Amino acid sequence: MILENGKEVLIRVRGLAKSFGAYQIWDGLSLDVFRGEILAIVGGSGQGKSVLMRVITGLIKPDTGEIELFGRNVKGLSPEDRLDIETRWGILFQDGALFSSLTVLQNIQVPMREHLELAQAMMDDLAFLKLAMVGLPPDAAHKYPSELSGGMRKRAGLARALALDPEIVFLDEPTAGLDPIGASDFDHLIQKLQKTLGLTVYMVTHDLDTIFTVCDRVAVLADKKIVRTGSPGELQQKPNHPWIKEYFCGERARAAMPATRAAAAAR
Amino acid sequence: MLKRDLTLKLSTQARAPGFRVELHGTTFRLIASGAWTVAEATQIDAALKRLRVPIPPTPEFTGEMDIAGIAEIDTAGAMLLQRTAASWSAGGLRTRYSGATEAFRILIEEVKSRSGAERPKIETRAPLKQFVDDGTKAITGVGTDALLLTNFLGEVTFALGRMIKEPWRFRMTSFVHHLDHAGLRAVPIIAMICLLIGAVVMQQGVVQLKPFGAEPFAVNMVAILALREVGILLTAIMVAGRSGSAFTAEIGSMKMREEIDAMRTLGIDPMDTLVIPRVLALVVALPLLTFLGDIMGLIGGGIMAMAVLGIDAGTYIDKLHDAVDFQHFMAGMVKAPFAAIIIALVGCLEGMKVEGSAESLGQHVTSAVVKAIFLVIILDAIFAMFLSGIGV
Repeated sequence: MILENGKEVLIRVRGLAKSFGAYQIWDGLSLDVFRGEILAIVGGSGQGKSVLMRVITGLIKPDTGEIELFGRNVKGLSPEDRLDIETRWGILFQDGALFSSLTVLQNIQVPMREHLELAQAMMDDLAFLKLAMVGLPPDAAHKYPSELSGGMRKRAGLARALALDPEIVFLDEPTAGLDPIGASDFDHLIQKLQKTLGLTVYMVTHDLDTIFTVCDRVAVLADKKIVRTGSPGELQQKPNHPWIKEYFCGERARAAMPATRAAAAAR
Repeated sequence: MLKRDLTLKLSTQARAPGFRVELHGTTFRLIASGAWTVAEATQIDAALKRLRVPIPPTPEFTGEMDIAGIAEIDTAGAMLLQRTAASWSAGGLRTRYSGATEAFRILIEEVKSRSGAERPKIETRAPLKQFVDDGTKAITGVGTDALLLTNFLGEVTFALGRMIKEPWRFRMTSFVHHLDHAGLRAVPIIAMICLLIGAVVMQQGVVQLKPFGAEPFAVNMVAILALREVGILLTAIMVAGRSGSAFTAEIGSMKMREEIDAMRTLGIDPMDTLVIPRVLALVVALPLLTFLGDIMGLIGGGIMAMAVLGIDAGTYIDKLHDAVDFQHFMAGMVKAPFAAIIIALVGCLEGMKVEGSAESLGQHVTSAVVKAIFLVIILDAIFAMFLSGIGV
């Protein structure tokens, strides 16, 4: 277990570099993710936010750099250790990435079926419970992903990510494509699940409302590395980088920040 | 998974989940310990199922879930605890929790409030009824397919007619692209198989006709067979497998990702852009490929004839002249455009029928190839009857 300032580090990334052809997206990127926090990764488009998630989860190989997950270096892990790590995280892809030929219930049961030996009745109980926890009605259980709306697909994807009660969930743009009410519901859902299940949340997002409402810490990707980490409030008060300034002190950020909202409510 | 103490690393022995029930005064206490997590859920589930609900002798008896000994808990563990507590409550014991940390309490409350929702039932049918239903569906499906295909033929004909009136609707680039993919790129494989089949038929013909002293007539047999049947059938089947399936997969995956709906809303008619170029490309490509197949079949037969009959190329060509005339060639060739229309229509129509899932795409690609080949053979049989009827 790696500790830093008394907090347990779940993911530690050091000196990561990656190029696609002649285009280098990062050079010496470092990042820590602590247990129990909700971390948002922000950055301009093309900075490799989604790629970073894919590198951490092992879908893309970095050129150089060290990645430690749950205190273990991912290089040279045996297949069993790798599997152990894979059952300790859950990933929500942008459009849910549900298996289109399975119903929602079957989708949620895939990780259980694959990694555990549970009785069918037990899996049904668990899957219906997860379904209720992500706020889907029970009659969504026997529907196919193509019969669901975008917001419902995301919730179903989240239920599948939570199937094995992971310690960390990766969310790729969880509120993208949702209407403001749906997005705000989803924010509260993430917050509630984080509290209930003691989750660590790593999310890639653009949504300023999400950042100000639920995130404990923000990591900013710019200039080929993480240029700054801190709470949303800190970044807004002391933006020491042009991109951060533009992002956190722009018009939309002012509308999303809690102080402005409180003032608006008072009026 | 929630842990009571984050810094504590449990040994395998301490992880083993367990529970016992004790009676303290008027309280039945379930004392749980270890890791109540999804990985151990099967074990706990089985043990809890063996546990009988205590029957309270008087109403003042209560139940208690003492979870102070639980080191780790997750949704599965909380659900099992909650299930037990619920069954105790139903048996007349008011049951509460003790020894929960704040985090454990939140999780258990959440599980409590979320469980017990009414579940929708899946419709199940008796096996016999299912069998009869499937059978009926398969039979009526043939009629529906025929209707859909006729309808689609009508739509394509209409679109073609409109294209003659408004020639700017024709997509030249797309047409040439499909001509290249379905036609030019099929040349090597079609040349190869027709050459081999020609040679094989010649060799077998010679072997079978030898006892009758009629082996020179094997040339007549191969020539007529190649021109009237083998050339067109082999080519059509090959093209149905190569291009018919490709048409379904291309159009089907566009359908899956709503690209076709997008085209419609942009005022682009998928008929003009997707279907017509494919149909026309195949109508041009298939006769050309059939011609190639015919010639390669004859060449294959010729090579084998030189080997087994010991005749030279000049003699073989003379014999061909005596054996066949233009009618035989045309009898095969005339079928090619019709086969092309069938393959292209079935391929495009099946693509249009694809629904949301990857499985549906697979099913329609399969059925496109099967239906196209089946219909091509039916077409061939009808032509055979018709041509012999008019004496060709």
